[in-house]
Amino acid sequence: MKKKDIFVVVAASFFVFGLALTGLLMPDKEMSVSERRPLAGFPGLSFESVADGSFQEGFEEYSPDHFPFRDGFRTVKALTAYKLFRQKDNNGIYLADGHLSKLDYPENLDSVKKATDRFREIIGWYADKNAKVYFSVIPDKNYFLARQNDYPSMDYDRLISFAKNEMNTVEYIDIIDLLELSDYYRTDSHWRQECITDVAGLLAEKTGTVLDETYTEKNLSDSFCGVYAGQSALPLTADELYCLETQATENCLVYDAENESNLPVYNKEKLAGNDLYEVYLSGAKSLLKIENPKGPSDKKLIIFRDSFASSLAPLLISGYREITLVDIRYISPKLLDRFIDFDGRELLFLYSTGVLNNSVTIK
Amino acid sequence: MLFSSIPFLYVFLPLTVALYFAVPKKLKNGVLLFFSLVFYGWGEPKYLILMLFSITQGYIFGLLIERTRESRRSKVFLTASVFVSLLLLGYCKYADFFIGSFNSITGLSVPLLKVALPIGISFYTFQILSYTIDVYRGDVPAQRNYVNLALYIAMFPQLIAGPIVRYSDIAPQLENRTHSIENAAYGIRRFTVGLSKKILIANVLAELVSSFKDSGEQSVLFFWLYAVACTLQIYFDFSGYSDMAIGLGRIFGFCFSENFDYPYISGSITEFWRRWHISLGSWFRDYLYIPLGGNRVGKSRWFFNIFVVWFATGIWHGAAWNFVLWGLMYAMLLVNEKLWLLKWLKKSRVLNHVYTMLFVVIGFVVFDADSVGSAFSALRSMFGFGGLPIISAQAVYTLKSFAVVLIIAIAGATPLLQKLFRRFEKTKAGSVVLTVAEPLGIVLLLTVCTAYLVDGSFNPFLYFRF
Repeated sequence: MKKKDIFVVVAASFFVFGLALTGLLMPDKEMSVSERRPLAGFPGLSFESVADGSFQEGFEEYSPDHFPFRDGFRTVKALTAYKLFRQKDNNGIYLADGHLSKLDYPENLDSVKKATDRFREIIGWYADKNAKVYFSVIPDKNYFLARQNDYPSMDYDRLISFAKNEMNTVEYIDIIDLLELSDYYRTDSHWRQECITDVAGLLAEKTGTVLDETYTEKNLSDSFCGVYAGQSALPLTADELYCLETQATENCLVYDAENESNLPVYNKEKLAGNDLYEVYLSGAKSLLKIENPKGPSDKKLIIFRDSFASSLAPLLISGYREITLVDIRYISPKLLDRFIDFDGRELLFLYSTGVLNNSVTIK
Repeated sequence: MLFSSIPFLYVFLPLTVALYFAVPKKLKNGVLLFFSLVFYGWGEPKYLILMLFSITQGYIFGLLIERTRESRRSKVFLTASVFVSLLLLGYCKYADFFIGSFNSITGLSVPLLKVALPIGISFYTFQILSYTIDVYRGDVPAQRNYVNLALYIAMFPQLIAGPIVRYSDIAPQLENRTHSIENAAYGIRRFTVGLSKKILIANVLAELVSSFKDSGEQSVLFFWLYAVACTLQIYFDFSGYSDMAIGLGRIFGFCFSENFDYPYISGSITEFWRRWHISLGSWFRDYLYIPLGGNRVGKSRWFFNIFVVWFATGIWHGAAWNFVLWGLMYAMLLVNEKLWLLKWLKKSRVLNHVYTMLFVVIGFVVFDADSVGSAFSALRSMFGFGGLPIISAQAVYTLKSFAVVLIIAIAGATPLLQKLFRRFEKTKAGSVVLTVAEPLGIVLLLTVCTAYLVDGSFNPFLYFRF
């Protein structure tokens, strides 16, 4: 009997049986913090569920979700893909210039058209004849990262000019020149609030108002692991998360129409959650109304938006009496007149290229 | 259940191994059969009955054939068993294929039966056939113990993807086999290598294949990348499964025959088929080609025999015309090689490999196609007749992203790495280093494979059509 054979049997048995036993003894978790998703529960066991295969199917989802040291194993996989196999991306997430991002290509003009068709319908249904309507496109970080690092990229010029053309009856506000890669979090898809004051300034200027730009920068967290950090499973330094406070952000009222409750502009309770970006206006909300009692009485704005506007709107509020934020991924636009008074309001359609290019989520 | 899955590796396998080695010798076959039925029933509970029926008919007819060996009834029982086996296979696998083809030819619209294909039916049907035929020929005695016969047919290591184990090879081991640390260590090594081939190479290449199929930006380069990746994926997937089967078998004391022997180093298609899916090739040789007369007949009959065998080989892999085309392409090539080409191929050590791999790659493009039409369309595009650009940005990106895996796969498809390992193992330093390094390497490979499974990486199952 060779010593090597004994070692092989002992090592492999220890590994397999050890992990199997650990998995058996470890309590189940409900959520994966890093992946920001609920984990599969143990499937119901019955004669019927075994016979129709639903137990087996459920168990095949359950077992990798609750595998011991799951996050560590995911990191091993990511490092193998990146470092050993030198793959350019891992599950569609790539790392370049210290930033994580998700491949999104090619441009899908059908998707853009679906979105802009909806925007035009909304304008037709609700906007006053004389209402000013604006449209602006936020480039996702791939705009600054993909092509420059030999990653496949959508043709942003084509996508944006197509969207502009589809929305040619409204004023387009071009913010791209004000942005650069460092304006985005390294581990997340979003822009950093402290870096987009110029964007807020331009939007205010184009919509005919002036902002209070005496911002006080506050550090909210040094451990912001954005959406891509968890998806990539790579060991990266976390981002810092800041918020910019003004008198307006201190004094304004945020009303959440969905839950019929008031919320803070910067919801610090969210710092204990899975997605720290939700600190800005409490994250995904279908309908928020921000009232600034000291804002100019004639400036009322309705922003049709995605999550990028959550961190932008607090910067804009000083220039308006009221900002309504509508996310038509969570509420049907057909219902809006039940909740929103459109009289005398200006409309801004502010969407990221990511949402325009994947507009199936728009209702 | 897939070998390359967390439920198999960390629930099913530890439980099976623990119980198998815990029970006394006389119960081992029963334990292994029980877990084999659980393994099969895991994915297809309702098809357990079908498999048990097939096993039972094989068992009864085997006994009847033996009991009536000296009389004509023996042949009747064999015919009945073969008929039942092929009827089940034909109904489950080929009924809709024939109805669809009939509809296409006649323009009628006979409704399809929409029979779901039980996993592994092609493999276990062939094993039952080999058993009853071998009993009829008197090569082996009929198995009187139902559990032993059922275990031979349903044994989980080789149940869903082979190798096709001959009863005559395994019959003595069903009664008496050796369990040892050496066998277990060999089995673990072999299983880990197979698992790594499947998860780290085949599944990663499957991502390339999948991204090609999803891409709207195709080019000649992308088609070739797909073709090469697909060729390597099928090899690493299939041979990986065979390695895992052989390894698992050895842990439980069984010695299964080899199924792949570096087929991509072949210098001819004849050699390729001696190295590729060896158990299937030898099955068709022994149970179809030779009974038809093999090559000891006139030339036209010989050609006919070759075409029958390769038609059967093609359609065994899947009930679709592209598989038939794939099989017949090899028939044509083999006939040509036997008539004149082989002697020319022996003259060049480079061109013969180029020729072989070109047709192997073309073959797997046909094999992987959805239909004969899409196979020809893909081939046209590969050779620049598809009106596509030579290069596309996505093809270049994909090449860069998968270059290392492709290089590892190409190197791994040759015996080079194994030769280097063996050479190092034989040195004094090698034997010392490997005593520690090999167990560590196995744990490392298991860790990385587990990591890919936990991550939920792409894990396709290629044998659903077999």
